[in-house]
Amino acid sequence: MSDLALLSVTEAAGAFAKGEASAEAMVRACLARIEAHDGRINAVVRLDREEALAAAAALDRARAGNAKLGPLAGVPMMHKDMYYRAGKVSGCGSAIRRDFRPKATATVLERLDAAGAIDMGTLNMAEFAQNPTGHNRHHGDCHNPWNLPYCTGGSSSGSGAGVAARFFAAALGSDTGGSIRLPASICGVTGIKGTQTRVSRAGAMPLSFSMDNVGPLTRTARDAARIMRVIAGKDPRDPTSAAEPVPDYEAALTGDLRGLSVAVPREWFFDGAEEAVVKAFEAALEVLKARGATVTRVSAPSLHAVGTYVSVVSRVEGATIHAEWMRERAGDYATHLSGRLYGGYAIPATWYVEALSRRGPLLRQFCREAFAGHHVVATPTLRMRVPTLAETDIDASPDNWARHMAVSANTRPFNYLGLPTVSIPCGFDDRGLPIGLQIAARPFAEARALMVADAFQRDTDWHACVPAL
Amino acid sequence: MPDDPMDQAQAAIRLWTGVECPNAAGRRALDDFPALIAEFAALRGGLAFEDEPSAFEAVLREEKEPEA
Repeated sequence: MSDLALLSVTEAAGAFAKGEASAEAMVRACLARIEAHDGRINAVVRLDREEALAAAAALDRARAGNAKLGPLAGVPMMHKDMYYRAGKVSGCGSAIRRDFRPKATATVLERLDAAGAIDMGTLNMAEFAQNPTGHNRHHGDCHNPWNLPYCTGGSSSGSGAGVAARFFAAALGSDTGGSIRLPASICGVTGIKGTQTRVSRAGAMPLSFSMDNVGPLTRTARDAARIMRVIAGKDPRDPTSAAEPVPDYEAALTGDLRGLSVAVPREWFFDGAEEAVVKAFEAALEVLKARGATVTRVSAPSLHAVGTYVSVVSRVEGATIHAEWMRERAGDYATHLSGRLYGGYAIPATWYVEALSRRGPLLRQFCREAFAGHHVVATPTLRMRVPTLAETDIDASPDNWARHMAVSANTRPFNYLGLPTVSIPCGFDDRGLPIGLQIAARPFAEARALMVADAFQRDTDWHACVPAL
Repeated sequence: MPDDPMDQAQAAIRLWTGVECPNAAGRRALDDFPALIAEFAALRGGLAFEDEPSAFEAVLREEKEPEA
């Protein structure tokens, strides 16, 4: 391949393991692409050029010495600027933490390091991961590589834009209301949020401790499966992490959808959906059917309660952990963020406890409604076509609030329900912006969602499209 | 106490948390509350006396995909 930056995670790891490409050459290819194009996209916050090249050279020496290689050996990655690495600034997209240097490294970064991934630096994100569009007053907005005036989705804006632009093979994002799946959908890449508690959050900036998730943005479902196998699983440093065994997700990618039943809820996900989105979604269902799946429209009335409760949980928890800074230095937040946090203080504690107390019963109800006889739930990732940065800029006008929050309407319910959910590209709209297909599975069935996503990608090439930079 | 419900909300926030309304967007964030109150009112009767937050993780385990 002429440009090594175009390799996916599994391709890069394979090329390195076979001696077809050096780690240093792959890192240099990514660095060259970043240096050529990031001036317009603004995905990168900090480029650790020399450290990445040194890590790559060490891996090349290890391979030459026949050392055992990890499953991500030689793969260039960068991560949302909210995963702590001891001694390195983790600014969390903010002015408030612009000089914050954590003392310990996040478990997910330690696991990626141990698997041989090369960390090239940190990525732009919504301030404190608190918006679904990726706007950032402090670092400047990140731009969609498919069409620069359009938003990237957030909060993992640099992760989505950078993977789409082929600046690196994969990136970590975080997802509390859609912050992995939205930039994945909007930038035309693959993203997965696991089951709540599936991936350790030790050393990751908190937003809403009940609904925060760590996960990757990648080119393909197979890449996501490779990374999830590395980062998922119990972590003594995160007492909330699940002890459920972690399967070999890649082994589940059989491409065989015979006997698979896909449920499509009638409620919620299509309220006000734009025609281009529905058309791409229905075409995606036909692809799944052609591989042997059946599709059934189901009723899931629990979604209305889910939609109400989810916003209460994230707003209250976010407002609570930001209270000291909101009292002392509210002016250091972007206007839209301090405004959003402020609203959280008006929510009664009884509502918050009600929302958390109903979470288990509503999950049970949703599973009975949507998964009775069905393996996965499919929906569009967004109801709307990708909006521009200007259309969703609350700092410019509070009147943009409704459009801004509508971006995450279809992703938020799965954070409240805690279900594993993947977004994959399934088309483009009339303005050349990507459209996403969202696939959710039962708790801890990440393998099922990834298997469906991988099968879809065997018959389509939306995920292989590269924006002209 | 102010008459306007949103002014009341701002006064309550100040009283209980010491946080001041930071800007027009903060005030705008409160404008959603009448709709949210109506949504919560529509959900009354759903909460059972025994419900509690800790049930969630148990339901995650209960609702796993059955072994093939």
